[in-house]
Amino acid sequence: MRYGFFPGCTLESAAEELMISTKKVANALGIELIELEGWTCCGASHIQDVDGFLATSVNARNLALAEKLGAPLLTVCNTCTLMLRTTKKELDEDKELRDKVNIGLRKSGLEYKGTSEVTHLLWALIKDYGLENLKKLVKRPLTGLKVANFYGCHIVRPPDIMGFENHKNPRSMEIIAEALGAECVDFDQRLACCGFHAVFPAEKEVMKLTAINCISPKLAGADCIVTPCPLCQMQLDMYQPDAQKGYSEDIEMPILHLPQLIGLALGFSPKELAINRHIVSAVPFLKESLGV
Amino acid sequence: MEKLVLRIHRYDGVNKWLQEYQIPYKKNKTVLWVLTKIKEEIDPSLNFTSACRHAICGSCAVRVNGTAYLGCKTAIDEIIETFDTNVLTFEPLKNFEVVRDLVIEWKPKVKKMKLVKPWLIPTKAGSIEKGFQQSEQEFSKIASPTDCILCGVCTSECEQLSVNDGVFLDPFILSKAYRFAVDSRDGSPEEHIQPVVENELWKCIHCMQCVTNCPKGIPLTDQIAYLRKVSMKMGAKGNQGARHAYAFYGDVKKYGRLNETMLPLKTDGIMSTISKRIPLAARMVYKGKINPLHFPKKVKGIEGIRKIYKYAQELSK
Repeated sequence: MRYGFFPGCTLESAAEELMISTKKVANALGIELIELEGWTCCGASHIQDVDGFLATSVNARNLALAEKLGAPLLTVCNTCTLMLRTTKKELDEDKELRDKVNIGLRKSGLEYKGTSEVTHLLWALIKDYGLENLKKLVKRPLTGLKVANFYGCHIVRPPDIMGFENHKNPRSMEIIAEALGAECVDFDQRLACCGFHAVFPAEKEVMKLTAINCISPKLAGADCIVTPCPLCQMQLDMYQPDAQKGYSEDIEMPILHLPQLIGLALGFSPKELAINRHIVSAVPFLKESLGV
Repeated sequence: MEKLVLRIHRYDGVNKWLQEYQIPYKKNKTVLWVLTKIKEEIDPSLNFTSACRHAICGSCAVRVNGTAYLGCKTAIDEIIETFDTNVLTFEPLKNFEVVRDLVIEWKPKVKKMKLVKPWLIPTKAGSIEKGFQQSEQEFSKIASPTDCILCGVCTSECEQLSVNDGVFLDPFILSKAYRFAVDSRDGSPEEHIQPVVENELWKCIHCMQCVTNCPKGIPLTDQIAYLRKVSMKMGAKGNQGARHAYAFYGDVKKYGRLNETMLPLKTDGIMSTISKRIPLAARMVYKGKINPLHFPKKVKGIEGIRKIYKYAQELSK
């Protein structure tokens, strides 16, 4: 399996631990990730507020880079996936727009043809890699670990663009976690928004969301939250101390990246997966639950 | 499947309780059929609203198993298949006051909607006598937002409204502002957009719930992006949301990548960043989450990206 890898800006800045754990896990699974040379920020759902055509063009360039590589594009970020898939859908369905965008791309020696698909690691593991193949490589089953799967918005919504599974009751995260031996906890906020994209203009409201999103799985008995999105992880983890200020009850809840959960089952140590970098430490419960 | 188990959140104005009913399952029936069946054959005290039964009036929207649906348009088979259960839990729409059972109060929403002047402010080009000419292309701009039937589904699922103190405008109100702002017969779009800017336009959290659940498929998030774009053209660039968007816009042009270290400074300004963000930054540096000395290098092909920017700017003129 070979993919054009689109890390997204957070993986080389505020969520480097996801880059580390993704590469470790991909390598262990035999998945070849070739980072796209010259990829740019997807706009993270903000550039379109300034100039929608530019947002489409910038991502058309990213897609054209993957096409040049001759491989499907893979990300580990929900918002990057949404931005890239939105662009692909727009361009594939609107020839006039595609022609207009390609005039701009040709100025940089590129052309969008529509030959590469865009996927997320979560989907690739289920659809391309296969659960049975994943199960065969589990060295340390996550028995006894109670995980709350926090999907994040942009991996399920809007369904006409994302569409991998039923957006009202997705199961992909549960399927992976159970294949690793973990127990999945049902909780109210499973499909909630983390609020990351509005943390600056709507700080008060987003902190409320952060607290609610942590309390809900805690009350349901989860040891940790697992998310397929670095933005959700960052919001729920690094802002947790700020969200705690508005609440008397203890909201402490460790937040893991999906590749970190997989990496634990593959036998890597928390340090190898850079789990020690999280603001809310996950190490104590991992020692208690898995003895690592 | 022989029967449906229906759990309905009841409210009599004072007390709340969960009431269970059972009815025989029938194929190809709607959510509204279930409620009507209970009211007509089991419990006439159950309150809900409905009228047209053809997805035009918007009055029968209700939450089932945690998501809002337009009752007359939604097949129960779809819900049974989604949640793999014969137990359906009914609740009134979220983010509305509840009057009785599944009946919600619209008056505060209508009052709020008036802020954006949801009516035409005519151009001088038309008159009552001559009428208002509109081309097919001009009409196409309002074809989608005029599909809104005010069912309230978007409001119910809006995650900003669920934690907001009530100032943030409901998605259908933002859509209404858009609808009149882009109407070629309207001579004063800024009168629809200015109130939107003054009422927390930038607090939309991009959860995509409104656009996902709208039973009419109205592209609400695109409309919000449009309102933001035009508000900045009108000069409203000094708020955090606009500065945040421009930080992304500027960084991609300059480096191709986002400069996360500088993002708070560009969005909040120096003083606010120092007073609010230092504890956050300190704990991130301490844990190795961020390297404050990391600055993105220009990506390979940055000149090509700048050509794309120039081209987009030329087109927008």
